[in-house]
Amino acid sequence: MVLEVSRLCVSYDNTQVLRGVSFTLGEGIAAVVGPNGAGKTTLLKAISGLINYEGSVKILNKDLSSLAAEERAKLVTYVPPIVDVMPDMSVGDLILSDPLIDRELLEQYVYLFELSTLLKRRLSRVSSGELSRALIVKGLSRNSRIIALDEPLSHIDMRFQLILLKHLRTLSKEGKTILIASNQLNPLLNYTDKIIALKKGETIFTGNTTDFIKTNTPEKIYDVKFETILKDKYIDLIPTP
Amino acid sequence: MVVSVSILFSAFFTHLSLGYRVMNPLSVLFSGITQLVEGGLGVEGYRVLRVLTAVVVGAALAFSGYLMQLSTKNPLADPYILGVSSGALFAVSLTLSLAGFVTHPLMIGVRFLTAFLGGLVAYLATLFVASRAGMTPTSLVLAGVAVGTFFYSASLLPQYFISRDIHKLIAWSMGSFVSPSASVLVLMVLMLSLTTCYVFFVRHPLNNLQVSDDFVRQLGRDPAKLRRYSTLLASLMTSLTVAWFGVIGFVGLAAPHISRRVLKSSDLVFVLPVSVVLGSLLLTVSDLLSKVLIVGVEIPVNVIASMIGAPVLALALVELRKYGS
Repeated sequence: MVLEVSRLCVSYDNTQVLRGVSFTLGEGIAAVVGPNGAGKTTLLKAISGLINYEGSVKILNKDLSSLAAEERAKLVTYVPPIVDVMPDMSVGDLILSDPLIDRELLEQYVYLFELSTLLKRRLSRVSSGELSRALIVKGLSRNSRIIALDEPLSHIDMRFQLILLKHLRTLSKEGKTILIASNQLNPLLNYTDKIIALKKGETIFTGNTTDFIKTNTPEKIYDVKFETILKDKYIDLIPTP
Repeated sequence: MVVSVSILFSAFFTHLSLGYRVMNPLSVLFSGITQLVEGGLGVEGYRVLRVLTAVVVGAALAFSGYLMQLSTKNPLADPYILGVSSGALFAVSLTLSLAGFVTHPLMIGVRFLTAFLGGLVAYLATLFVASRAGMTPTSLVLAGVAVGTFFYSASLLPQYFISRDIHKLIAWSMGSFVSPSASVLVLMVLMLSLTTCYVFFVRHPLNNLQVSDDFVRQLGRDPAKLRRYSTLLASLMTSLTVAWFGVIGFVGLAAPHISRRVLKSSDLVFVLPVSVVLGSLLLTVSDLLSKVLIVGVEIPVNVIASMIGAPVLALALVELRKYGS
């Protein structure tokens, strides 16, 4: 197993955000879904070693808390959602401000996510989708074993969503473990090997997409009825009023 | 970088040669250094000491301003705008009016310490008010103005009640390099080197402080600690300059702003050195103007520096609005 999480608990100021989350992940893509405030971001930050937690997180059989920062950064990267940045920073400054990135990989990603013409532009003048692409490029260029992306699909357009998901699938086949926290079940469901559904800080489901739908989990987590459409193995969930 | 350093050099030598009499800058430099080493300060020694002071103070203020901008993620931050300088001014003003301009060596420590405490209290007050007001760039600046005005006005009180050394006190509080001191210069250089070492050591996490605290944590540093240490060092440097040379505003804002604009980047590795050189340049030119604009009269250097720096603040404000921050 690449990632083993057991009885993970996190509290902020006496409010418990994660209440004993456990799961294991091998290579592949895992989607972390759940309503707003379910603890998705907290879970990703905890397994990236960015916040204090109780319970245990093991990466390749090593305890996360015993790893030095540099070693940890090589194993796991957290890609934040859109952030507030210094207004006159440029896209180039943003993606180059990391000593751990692989320059060759970075160049490929800049090309893949079409940022080459934006490198000189200031972040206060790019759209949220472009900023999101820059953050994704920065995170992927670290080339770490586990990549935890927080809401990567929320700001980028449909074409880049597909470019990102297809590329993540390639990476997962090359042996990476990828976690995506998102509520964009479509198209996400069609690209994941495993789904971890959170509600109020607890795991209410872990398993594959077919079981996710069979057990009616989408309705349980969002309190909305869904109609499932299956076409050439492509799953689409449509909320019904 | 090369351009800014060469302009600084020419300003440096012009500064040396102009004054009450025009002299050959190179001979001023050599005999000045000899005088400084052997003790016994002549005209040349004085000129060298004064220009070096302008260079070092400019560097320290620009450095402080840049560190404050990084830690608050706010391009408008500067030790003067955030009230640190006025806090230090008040503390030193109070000490000096109680103790007078004593020339005991211990006084260096006392002045420095009170300045630091005053600056720190003012900075914390500004951060407290700003965080209550939502910590936006504008709220931080306005909180700084409120705190700064309070301490600046308070610093006038002791001057009003105590008439001892009143001229010296007023001249000092207006910001000037008329009375440079070799030991203070050495102290400042030490402080600058200490800060440079620290910043060099944490340059990558500091750079990421501009983006997101999560990136800083991924590099194995605690962003809160990084902020605390860098603002502490910035306040120390600023207080040291205020303790001796009074309040000199806007250098810390203008130098990093211009260098980011010219370099079209905000990468610390490029912006910081250029800012420091620009800060030195700004104060060297300001001090040069302050002594030659009206022959025989010394205009406080802060008057000139602020007249250059304040328009840059106005520009920065307009740009922030234009880019929708």
